[in-house]
Amino acid sequence: MGAIGSGKTTLIGRLVERLKDRFGVAVFNGDATTSTDADLIARQNVPVVQIATVNGCHLDANLVGKALRKIDLEKLKLIFIENIGNLICPAEFPLGSKARIVVVSVTEGQYMVRKHPHMFLGADLVIVNKVDLAAAMEVSVEDLAADVHKLKPDIKVIPTSCKNGIGLDELTTSLLAV
Amino acid sequence: MHELSIASSVVDRVLEFLDSHEVKKVITVRLAIGELSNVEAEQLRFCYTAITQETALENSTLEIENVPAVVECPSCSYRGRPKYWADALSAAPIPTFECPDCKGTVEPVEGNDCAIKAIQFIT
Repeated sequence: MGAIGSGKTTLIGRLVERLKDRFGVAVFNGDATTSTDADLIARQNVPVVQIATVNGCHLDANLVGKALRKIDLEKLKLIFIENIGNLICPAEFPLGSKARIVVVSVTEGQYMVRKHPHMFLGADLVIVNKVDLAAAMEVSVEDLAADVHKLKPDIKVIPTSCKNGIGLDELTTSLLAV
Repeated sequence: MHELSIASSVVDRVLEFLDSHEVKKVITVRLAIGELSNVEAEQLRFCYTAITQETALENSTLEIENVPAVVECPSCSYRGRPKYWADALSAAPIPTFECPDCKGTVEPVEGNDCAIKAIQFIT
């Protein structure tokens, strides 16, 4: 889960690259209108289901249930569910997932965490993405992480960059440990 | 968010109840809204009034009882109100999951739900 343009699809793509040879991975891409994200992931030859919500601003368990019936679950160990880009509504709709990962990128500014506390209170792992742009954005990664810890003291916060690979190995390890 | 869909779920549940009882008119519906449920009482009332028109719930009163959040700490056994983040640029203090006693992470045990508590009606 994360805002529009926070880097959810790219991050999932990087994780899929790292995991798909180890066990069965599939991706559900929630997207209001396009199949852009699903097409991008599908290039990696893993099962992908696009969940188009049209006007809907979040996924719900019913939509995920329908997507589950579209793929062969036998060979799968892990399914990534990419929610609609939105930091408010998805927090209210549990999907039956094992863990909830919230992505916030430095390009969204310094106050995204405190402006969307419910999303972070419900998270199991938080990613601060695009840290390669932090200096240009004049956004402090440490302050974003401190805001997350103010809401939930023991949660893991991982700074990442899909441009230069920062944090992606740590993210993979942490994801598998959740 | 989504107060309209929450209001229609409430109305659907009440109508279901009416189906199995001989009810002429609903007078009051009482809801308990948890502090952590993110349900906006004012928006909910507005939606409720709009969607109950021309149903057995028309002109009924929606009573809203606010259920305060209660959290529990797995490390130090604290149980009580959450710690609030008061200076977060927010219109209202934000409840956090930081334990007020040991600074560990607490879990919410009350105030997460939105539930129908009572329906008052005329038969």
